[in-house]
Amino acid sequence: MSRSLRTVSVAVLSVVVLAAVASSQVRKEFHYQVHRRASVSIFNEYGPISVKPASGHQVIVVAILHSDKVEVDQNHGGNRVAVSSHLLAGADPESGRVDYEVWVPVNASVVLHSATGPIHAEKLHGDIILEGNTADVDVRDLSDGHVHVKTLKGPVTLTNVSEGHVEITSVSGDVALNSVNGPFVQVNSTTGNIRYDGDFGESGEYSLMTHTGNIDATTPSYASIDVYAHSEQGKVENDFLLEPSHTSFAARAGSAFAGTVGKAASSVKLLSFSGRIHLKKR
Amino acid sequence: MSCEEFQRILPELEDTYSLEQEQHLKTCSHCSALVADLNAIAREALLLADIEEPSPRVWNRIEIALRQEGLIRSAQPAAPTLRKARWNPIWLVPVAAIFLVIFGLLLYQRGGVEPQTAHVLHSTPLPSLPEGVSAEQAELLKVVAAQTPSLRASYESEFRAVNAYIRDAELAVRRNPNDQISQQYLTNAYEQRAMVYEMAMDHGLQ
Repeated sequence: MSRSLRTVSVAVLSVVVLAAVASSQVRKEFHYQVHRRASVSIFNEYGPISVKPASGHQVIVVAILHSDKVEVDQNHGGNRVAVSSHLLAGADPESGRVDYEVWVPVNASVVLHSATGPIHAEKLHGDIILEGNTADVDVRDLSDGHVHVKTLKGPVTLTNVSEGHVEITSVSGDVALNSVNGPFVQVNSTTGNIRYDGDFGESGEYSLMTHTGNIDATTPSYASIDVYAHSEQGKVENDFLLEPSHTSFAARAGSAFAGTVGKAASSVKLLSFSGRIHLKKR
Repeated sequence: MSCEEFQRILPELEDTYSLEQEQHLKTCSHCSALVADLNAIAREALLLADIEEPSPRVWNRIEIALRQEGLIRSAQPAAPTLRKARWNPIWLVPVAAIFLVIFGLLLYQRGGVEPQTAHVLHSTPLPSLPEGVSAEQAELLKVVAAQTPSLRASYESEFRAVNAYIRDAELAVRRNPNDQISQQYLTNAYEQRAMVYEMAMDHGLQ
């Protein structure tokens, strides 16, 4: 009897706490009509942003404000929608938090900024720019648009991204690229590790570069690449039997290798100043 | 021949002078002194050819030391009376500059600047900087901390990381200036630092 009473008490208390938390939160929803190739930007200092495709030519923004220390400013002019969190005096990462869920036309250009994140975007075909300090960035199923990502220490994961310029800059966040290809794929990091798993496409320039991080590139045996890997102070390993190629870069056993696989359709540069580099065969 | 005419053509003259010019030099102590100074500078300048160029930091130290000693001051507008002088005071600018350069370099070579620099540093002690972070970056960290204290440590470690990247890349370029990869490391390292600056400033300005 006393046990069931305790259970009921805990349940009631939980409901009260949740109700109190929910009461301090405010949900706002905005709808905008736009045309083809609209431009949508969301600027959020604290909190997640998630962007998904919408049907038709409309932008829907749902914002959950966690306190009255923050408000949402919006600007809609022509084909452009800009929404930003406006921190009021005394706001901190908790009270200034806003959770955004956004739906945009698939061909919209999107700019997302969140210091803390996470930032998520999926199934879009427009250009995307994502910026975050510690934000965890997750992007999947994008094609035909440019993808530019900047983070300080937030990890970046791209999955199924094709036919766009991909530029990722992260100072210390790890970067993972799964099935990412395009005419230009570049990752630049200072201490972050870089992992690539894919076939490097049919014609593209791939440059993965880090100062102290490790680079692991896994690609199938049918890949068609002209590869150069170099680590100034670390080790390099290669699972492929490379055809020698004419290059200005010097191959040095253990610290650099160069050569081609298949028809050498894509150029691949793997550079780590003091980290380890491994080109793996899948 | 007047002083003005002589000084106008002086930059084009080499070691030989016309009769008229020689006559003027004999009679004008001002112009003859000027020519003597320029010749002395030209001789000293030849000796500088083999000397390795000191870093900009050295020049800054020299400038600080000279300012401390009152030997140079901020530029002042020329007094109107100077305009009435017999010779053009514009000559003073390059001559003074060259003198200062030579003077500074000699001080540097003889190690004469260090004690003065030390004096300057002692008289205006600098606040201690976080390790591996420049004064400029430390200032930026203060701005970031004022906005969000919890982010300070994060930015500090990022600054330290990109500074280390730049140091390593610079060293690699210095060891092998023609190496494309080293140059690329350096370019990327600077880009990384620029990004940290940009984000810190964005954050601090909110």
